[in-house]
Amino acid sequence: MPISSTIMSSILYSGPETTAKQIEDAFKEFTARENIAIVLISQYVANMIRFLVDSYNMPIPAILEIPSKDQPYDPAHDSVLSRVKYLFSSESVASGRR
Amino acid sequence: MGEEEEGGGGKETKKSSENGKGSTEENQQEEEHVLKFLDSMDSYLVLMESLSSTLRQGWLELASARHSMGTSRVNGALFDLKYHSAATSLEINHDDAGSMTEQPHFMLCKWESPTNQKCCPGESKFEEDDLLWRKSNNQQLRHRGSSQYSEIQETRPESDGSPPTVDTQVQKERSKSLSMFGTLVSPKLRAAQLSFETALETLVEVANMRSSILCAYDQVQKELDST
Repeated sequence: MPISSTIMSSILYSGPETTAKQIEDAFKEFTARENIAIVLISQYVANMIRFLVDSYNMPIPAILEIPSKDQPYDPAHDSVLSRVKYLFSSESVASGRR
Repeated sequence: MGEEEEGGGGKETKKSSENGKGSTEENQQEEEHVLKFLDSMDSYLVLMESLSSTLRQGWLELASARHSMGTSRVNGALFDLKYHSAATSLEINHDDAGSMTEQPHFMLCKWESPTNQKCCPGESKFEEDDLLWRKSNNQQLRHRGSSQYSEIQETRPESDGSPPTVDTQVQKERSKSLSMFGTLVSPKLRAAQLSFETALETLVEVANMRSSILCAYDQVQKELDST
């Protein structure tokens, strides 16, 4: 049975016909709601709205990128770890200045 | 005049040593922040690996349950799509890591009911779930009229001091959540439930580690900008 994209209060099922715009709208809605503390998003879905996920920097709700059945977790695409890589690269520049 | 010069020289020496101590303390604090940041990162990676493994296990068990029970009995079409009160909720406490930073701390409250207010911190109780998981995976004959979980409750030592009524209530809540799949469900389905419960606890730990990373990152970034 194909999974269609429907928003069920606090769940968005993302299927083959789900557009990036729908995912983006759901992400903005979930991150704006006060009764949501953690947003779980499959990493391959997060890659479709990578610009939005990486630009999000609020502590609550926490955005956690999780693996899906078909797509394993890739640390290279994780938004938190991407920010960390930037810190390491800036640190090497700073040590060069000293 | 010589004594005044010596006094002036003494004050300068004292001031430079105080500055030296202050800079040493600052360096030490910076190093602590960096260590905290690296530790948080390492823990985050380990937890994500553990989460991937637990989810994989849960999906495999769910697939096994679907195979043994039939696809019509383990299906998304069984969801009634009505609003239900949450059996598990999340609490947020704000820890003051410093005067400038506020680090949220997530706590999972599992199987909440009016008679069972049970909140587990991010450090989950793996022992109980691990024991149940092992028992469900053992190749044992099932006895009609008794569940594996009631046998486990009788044999488990009450070393943690928790009252047996709370555990019975948790088991009832677990069985209630599986009731949508029928009265008699496959042990693999119960095992899948436990795996996803463990995954949920791991997710809360990941969330706490994420906030720790971001807090330490902000502190390290501020120190870098000040140099």
